[in-house]
Amino acid sequence: MVDTVVQNLISGSLMGCIYALIALGLSVIYGVMNVVNFAHGDFVMLSMYFTFWASTWLGIDAVGTPLFTFPLLFFIGLLTYYAIVDRTLRQHYVTQIAVTVGLQLFLRAFAQIAWHAQPRALSYSLIQGRIEIGNYTIILSRLISAVVSVLAIMAVYFFMNKTWPGRAMRAASDDLDAASLVGVNQRRTYAIAFGLGSALTAIAGGLLMTFQQVDPTMGVRFGLLSWCVLALAGLGSIPGMLVTGVIVGAAEALSMALWDPRARSLVVYLIFILVLWLRPRGLFGRK
Amino acid sequence: MKPKKLSVGMVSLLVGLAVALVVPLIIGSNQYNMVLVTTVLLYGVMATAWNVIGGMAGQMDLAAGAYLGLGAFTVGTLLIKWNISPWIGMILGGLVATGFAALVGYPLFRFGVTEVWYALSSSALVEVLRVLFLLWEDVGGPVEKYLPFHKWSLYHLRFSSYVPYYYIMLGLLLIALYANHRIARSKLGYYLLALGENEDAAEVLGVDARACKIKALMIYAFIVGVTGGVYACLYGFIHPNFFDGLQSTEVAILGIVGGMGITYGPLVAAILLVSGREFLRSNLSGQLESLYLAVYAAVLIVIALFKPRGIATLLQDAYKQILSRIQRDKNVQADTTNF
Repeated sequence: MVDTVVQNLISGSLMGCIYALIALGLSVIYGVMNVVNFAHGDFVMLSMYFTFWASTWLGIDAVGTPLFTFPLLFFIGLLTYYAIVDRTLRQHYVTQIAVTVGLQLFLRAFAQIAWHAQPRALSYSLIQGRIEIGNYTIILSRLISAVVSVLAIMAVYFFMNKTWPGRAMRAASDDLDAASLVGVNQRRTYAIAFGLGSALTAIAGGLLMTFQQVDPTMGVRFGLLSWCVLALAGLGSIPGMLVTGVIVGAAEALSMALWDPRARSLVVYLIFILVLWLRPRGLFGRK
Repeated sequence: MKPKKLSVGMVSLLVGLAVALVVPLIIGSNQYNMVLVTTVLLYGVMATAWNVIGGMAGQMDLAAGAYLGLGAFTVGTLLIKWNISPWIGMILGGLVATGFAALVGYPLFRFGVTEVWYALSSSALVEVLRVLFLLWEDVGGPVEKYLPFHKWSLYHLRFSSYVPYYYIMLGLLLIALYANHRIARSKLGYYLLALGENEDAAEVLGVDARACKIKALMIYAFIVGVTGGVYACLYGFIHPNFFDGLQSTEVAILGIVGGMGITYGPLVAAILLVSGREFLRSNLSGQLESLYLAVYAAVLIVIALFKPRGIATLLQDAYKQILSRIQRDKNVQADTTNF
């Protein structure tokens, strides 16, 4: 019993680091430009498929594919921003929901056309195998994925705090008018933020593909899941995102192991609803 | 006393109703087409009901599937286990959905969950219900539970043709439209409009926002719950996948692109977009599966971007233009007769 709990806590927490990375992308988009993006999960789905393509066509390992998919997703993010999102900035959030749900349906249809609605998985990855520590097993691919996720999150933290574009994003998020006065180009900052938020899913997609398959309908789950992590953490705290990501991942693994595999998302969503009721600013929220 | 003049809305409603009534006479022999038009009406009912909470009260509810599923499971379980007529089950299903809405709505509005967070938590609710019913094997479970088969039984609401379901759905649509119409002209409707525009300002003026929102949510849940009962009979089985998150979102999107707060807006959107989608599905899917979905999604995006107030505003503008043209013609006539 204790063994099961600890084992699942370990593997769930490792998975949670990837969730945190995905949610961080959403948080950059929502936090900086206050755009409600319902299609974020489908960007994850898309990057998983691109990983599949890059890996089977170019013959590189899933871990290496972000070299190609990161710029690609960044570009798609920019394109989405200039074509669609930019026009919804001054609109009601309801319009943003309608537009991004349309985008979600579109991406899903695109995946179904391009990959014929079949689940795709990669046959092998460099990082396979397991580490045994006492009674517990750690799957290597998950461990490395978690480490890479944490590194990527730290890189974003550094980018947000130390570089000019990152600071511009935070300034625009705090007070757009004041930021514009001191020379922040609103459109370009927003576009970079949207591109970065989307590109982060490329890293997550590459990591997920090392131990998971992808199908066109999985975007919805990742979308809602990343909103859960974001709501739990609250806006503006990047380390907090990591903590709540781990909470979500662990809750998911535990409810699968101790209750029922079908109850996977149940506990997470219940926590999500309760947190919205009781702590609307999240556990680590700034605003 | 002068006879009451028929308003334009009333005339178009009657014309629409006349057309809707004769549709089965024209295509009734083709069961596939009957399913399609019934599906269009189903979306029409749900989107019209959604207008009460989404359009008028301005709460982005994405939980239509939750109420639909609750209604369907109430009817299905009562019929399968105790042979209770769906006519009774429907009302009970509506009440179950309403009770659930009150149960969930109270804390949601009490703790001030608004805007996108309301949308997300209602969306999560659908998924929570789906999993719960998947785990609750007595009622739900992963295997479809079939309703008893009857060739033609009004008591069991089971028919071997889709035509009766079409007419029942049409009746529900009329009820939903009437409810919308009445609420829009009631005190509750004005309160809802006020708090949909600006909640703080409405509360300052003495509107009990929480009570109004819960009332709107309950009315919406009741209509969708009753519809769920018909939905179960239409498909002949119940399954936890009736709690469909994407379908729920789609209902809200139809409400938005139709025109929030306009009584007939969501219906117009449902008729145009859902039937357009189904037309594309049956005509395009030969070459490329899912191409219809891409086209449909692109149309949704374009409408939401360029007509954010809804396609019903197009009709309103056209109507105003016609009115002003008639007015101008009259003025010209008056001018020529004067001189």
